[in-house]
Amino acid sequence: MEKQLLDYNLKVRLPVILFVIIAVFAVTYYTTYAERNGIGYTPEQPLKFSHKLHAGTMQIDCKYCHTGADKSRNAGIPSADVCMNCHTLARKDRPDIQKLTEHYEKNKPLEWKRIHKVPDFVYFNHSAHVNKGIDCANCHGDVKQMETVGQTNSFTMGACLTCHRKPETRISNFEEIKSNLKKGPEYCAACHR
Amino acid sequence: MDDKGNKKDANYWRGFSEFNSDPEFLKAKEKEFADELPVNSGEPEMSGLSRRKFLTLLASSAALAATACSDYRDKGAIVPYNKKPEEVTVGNPSFYASTCTSCSNACGILVKTREGRPIKVDGNPDHPVNRGKICATGQAGILNLYEPSRIKEPMIKSGAGNFTASNWAEIDAKIIDTLKKASASGKEIAVISHTVNSPSLKKLFEDFTAKYPTSKFYSYELVNESNKLNAFKKSFGKEGLPVIDWKEAKIIVSLESDFLGKEGNPVEAMRLFAERRDVMKEDVLQESMQLTIGGENSSRKEGFNRLYAVEGNYTITGANADYRIKLRTDAIEEFVYALIAAAGENKSLINDFINKYNLKKEVVNGLIEDLLKNKGKSIVLAGAFLPESTHIAVNKLNDLLGNTRLYSKDYSETPMMHLTPRKEIEALTDRMNSGAVGVVIHFDTNPVYHFSSDYKYTEALKKVDTVITMSEQMNETTSESAYALGISHNFEGWGDFKTRTGVYSLQQPMIAPLYKTRQKEAVLLNWISDSPEKYTENDYMNYIRANWEKTVYTSFGAKTDFKTFWNNSLHDGVVTFTEKADNTFTFKNEEFNPAPAMKAATGMMLTLTRSNFIGDGRFANNGWLQELPNPITKVVWDNYVSLSPAASEKLGVKTNDLVEISAGGRTLKAAVFVQPGMADEVVSIDLGYGRTGAGVIGNNVGFNSIELMRKNPAVSDWLYQDCTISKSGGTYEIISTQEQYPIDHERYNDIHLKREIIMEGVYEEYVENPKFLKEEKGETHLFNIVPSYEFTTTKWAMSIDLNKCTGCNYCVAACNVENNIPVVGKEQVGKHRNMMWLRIDRYYAGKSDDPKVSFQPMLCQHCDNAPCENVCPVAATNHSPDGLNQMAYNRCVGTRYCSNNCPYKVRRFNYFNFRNNLADGYYEQQSLSLLHNPEVTVRSRGVMEKCTFCVQRIMDERQHATQEGRALDGDRVKTACQEACPTNAIVFGDLTKKDSEIAKHRNHELGYHVLEEINVRPNVTYIAKLRNIKPEKKS
Repeated sequence: MEKQLLDYNLKVRLPVILFVIIAVFAVTYYTTYAERNGIGYTPEQPLKFSHKLHAGTMQIDCKYCHTGADKSRNAGIPSADVCMNCHTLARKDRPDIQKLTEHYEKNKPLEWKRIHKVPDFVYFNHSAHVNKGIDCANCHGDVKQMETVGQTNSFTMGACLTCHRKPETRISNFEEIKSNLKKGPEYCAACHR
Repeated sequence: MDDKGNKKDANYWRGFSEFNSDPEFLKAKEKEFADELPVNSGEPEMSGLSRRKFLTLLASSAALAATACSDYRDKGAIVPYNKKPEEVTVGNPSFYASTCTSCSNACGILVKTREGRPIKVDGNPDHPVNRGKICATGQAGILNLYEPSRIKEPMIKSGAGNFTASNWAEIDAKIIDTLKKASASGKEIAVISHTVNSPSLKKLFEDFTAKYPTSKFYSYELVNESNKLNAFKKSFGKEGLPVIDWKEAKIIVSLESDFLGKEGNPVEAMRLFAERRDVMKEDVLQESMQLTIGGENSSRKEGFNRLYAVEGNYTITGANADYRIKLRTDAIEEFVYALIAAAGENKSLINDFINKYNLKKEVVNGLIEDLLKNKGKSIVLAGAFLPESTHIAVNKLNDLLGNTRLYSKDYSETPMMHLTPRKEIEALTDRMNSGAVGVVIHFDTNPVYHFSSDYKYTEALKKVDTVITMSEQMNETTSESAYALGISHNFEGWGDFKTRTGVYSLQQPMIAPLYKTRQKEAVLLNWISDSPEKYTENDYMNYIRANWEKTVYTSFGAKTDFKTFWNNSLHDGVVTFTEKADNTFTFKNEEFNPAPAMKAATGMMLTLTRSNFIGDGRFANNGWLQELPNPITKVVWDNYVSLSPAASEKLGVKTNDLVEISAGGRTLKAAVFVQPGMADEVVSIDLGYGRTGAGVIGNNVGFNSIELMRKNPAVSDWLYQDCTISKSGGTYEIISTQEQYPIDHERYNDIHLKREIIMEGVYEEYVENPKFLKEEKGETHLFNIVPSYEFTTTKWAMSIDLNKCTGCNYCVAACNVENNIPVVGKEQVGKHRNMMWLRIDRYYAGKSDDPKVSFQPMLCQHCDNAPCENVCPVAATNHSPDGLNQMAYNRCVGTRYCSNNCPYKVRRFNYFNFRNNLADGYYEQQSLSLLHNPEVTVRSRGVMEKCTFCVQRIMDERQHATQEGRALDGDRVKTACQEACPTNAIVFGDLTKKDSEIAKHRNHELGYHVLEEINVRPNVTYIAKLRNIKPEKKS
């Protein structure tokens, strides 16, 4: 009797349990993969700023606001005074613009939610990429169509390396800029120091 | 002492234990890490939590975490500027030219700021005095800005003796009232400051006196050059000291003058000294050829200079000397008189002297011969702590030899205000005691600590109605005061300075005051203002501006309007113009005593010397500076009694033993450090240690040797002849960074002596045959079993010229600041856990009574065949295609295999999160996170780290090259150590570019690699040191 029970446990129960555990793990792993990498993260921002309107419809260049993109490691979130270049006049009736004006005038900084982030030990450089002509959309997605910006691509080391190894598979405007491109570096110190 | 330079059998040794082949030391050498290093030291005790409870907690917290799980991790917020300053690009640094106020030299500095916070200090390249270089103290001054224990607001002492925070409006009102009353009742207002070298501050003092007529101003420095200045005034009838034209100086004789380390402006002196030790200049060879062949002096400026050092202590200058003559310090004056006589062809005095002190006859005669042969091209310098009479004699000697010719025609040092003579300080304390002083204002000074206890200054302060102390941090003096006024750091305030004729520099803020502090000048200015309640931060700036408009602007004769002139001056940080310097020097013979005033005693003598890095003690609370090793002894976190090996043996003491020193009727108990090469009768202690009110870091570090100073010393403030020393029993541990990290395994012990880690030669040998070193060394045939990697695009490499390296440690300080290197504390350094990526190895050669010193900066060699890389189990350290030995911290699991396998011992392991480990997390406080370089990872516990060749700066150049669409230019990358090196001994660049500086250095005839024969192919080339000694006569 005892022996039979042991037999049953070993032959049936254990494999079933193991299978279930592995299956659950695998399914969870794959289904949450994107989420764990932050893809789809679209937090609510302090102002309902529409990239679709500004960058899409009105065709304002990314670098008009993200001034650091071609000068520095950080692309930078525009300071309120950049917004005020237009909004001292434009759309002063909108509640969000009024909120912006209030922040600006009271010198109260706006706290924008961070969407794209690499870990602290990674030193990504915007200017090195932007100056090579790599379009922002290659990493940040088609921001011009986004009402509220969210993350569309993975920002893992694997994602960086795929592009550094096979840029043609990832860069949409590769043919245009390929004369300008060298293969991206793959050694540690390129990003970690 | 073997003067033949580096021969294969030179006995290099690092300390006594090695010299004497101490069996314990030899045993210890076998192991890289000392035995029984308790890992849990400084760590909290094991928690009493039971295993069961722990698991319960773990499970419940996991459950909690699971329920609290939201969709996405919050990534925090980005807070942009509201109104971004035009000149700021987030992520790129901004630089501000300013002036350093760490000492009275007022060097020009260039401060690197990121997003508005200063993170690195370098010299201002436009400043004519320090030319882009700045000393270790100046570099580390940045830590004081973010120091957690700064006084954050003005404070007032309440009845119980504790300070309570107040506000400026209230304090101003109270103090102005006090000042008015004191002035009206005819009581003195004494303002005590350090050296005043600011024209506007001088004017402010005058304005202050106009408002409060009973004001008097005093200034003092614990270590100063007043003996030298007074002597110069007596000798030549001139104020100030002349600047020496080092380029013209062929023979330099230093009489206990540590001009390369502690005296005058060493940043400038080192540069100018090393300019004549540059083997890269082609005409060094040619000119000296003429010298040897023709025997006559050429009028050309190049060619090696020759440095003689006559000293009782072992200083950096002595270590860099071609000939070092060991002589007790109080015999120096007699030596000068003997030299004067010898210059007049009377050799009997000097012969007696040689016999009396058992000096090397040929060296002293060589010195005299050199001086006579190079009249007008040599210079004799005497140490600032020697008495006035010695300086007058030295002036006489220089005059006799026509060396006053070398006093610079362009400019001279000009004191803005004289330091207060001792007598006047004494008079002040007398008046204080009699109640005639109403207010004492300590203008960022700490006289309670600095003044000799003879003055009984603390007791005198008690008789003063109101004592006001302005200071950045609490100190010994604030606790004796009614008001402790927190003042701004140098980087938060304005100022102007003048230390040379025709050189004015400006100090400007690069960060708004972090706390509710005001700069000290503005505080005084506000007290004389008609409306003190209307204070703004720009008040003192406007004051300087108005002063400049009237003075500097008019003398400069600018063709632009004042506003443009002012803005340009602020941008450059310095204004220079020709101001007439009086350059005729006639020695007044009547001032010259026919016989020496200072005569050598027979017993022991004591010298009190300036600390290398912590100044007069004002930087005692700066961990960076405390941990920077003394250049010669490599001792950290302490001062000590330096004794020669013979003297210590006679006394029956060894390093770490406590002794009692009595001098001038005072005694001090302190620990001994046996220093090879000291004169046997000389005892020496650094000043500035043993503070009790400095703060968590600086309290009770070392011994307070100010206790030995007298107000009316017989010879000089810093020199006492009647010194006795006795063993007092007990020990005190002194920690030194050398005798740790034995580079060589015992197995190779015999080889190590001949290992050519240091290579040296004789200058004239080099002139005769530039390839002598390589020929002597012979060819090393190295081969790889696998093909070597071809570096085609870039290959980074460094070269260090040991001819120029003076061992000053400024590079180490720069590396620490640039690379976020933590302070580990004395205890951890004692356990061989110091974290510095760059160290200066000091080797002794010869016998311990008079050794020869060689310095060698040692850092990661970025070997092509790096042995560390092969053993890393997780490939955390590996090679980049541009030749860097890279270290990925986030990959490192802390096996320490790499460190074990590194032949140079340059890898450092984080045994703790050292910021948290030191003094209860003192260096992990919030204000200090602002200090970090954002371009470099802040490493935590458990990872290995090492020099990266400043990869962040390489990447910065890569970014700029891409931005500007040009090729990478290796010459534009300057590593932190290279930028800081006052003598430009360090060169860095891209080896693949054949015409680059680095390629020239690497292929130089004197270039060699350390441990070349083990085929690791290092990328740091050392240029062998040449000693300018006379070659032995070939028989």
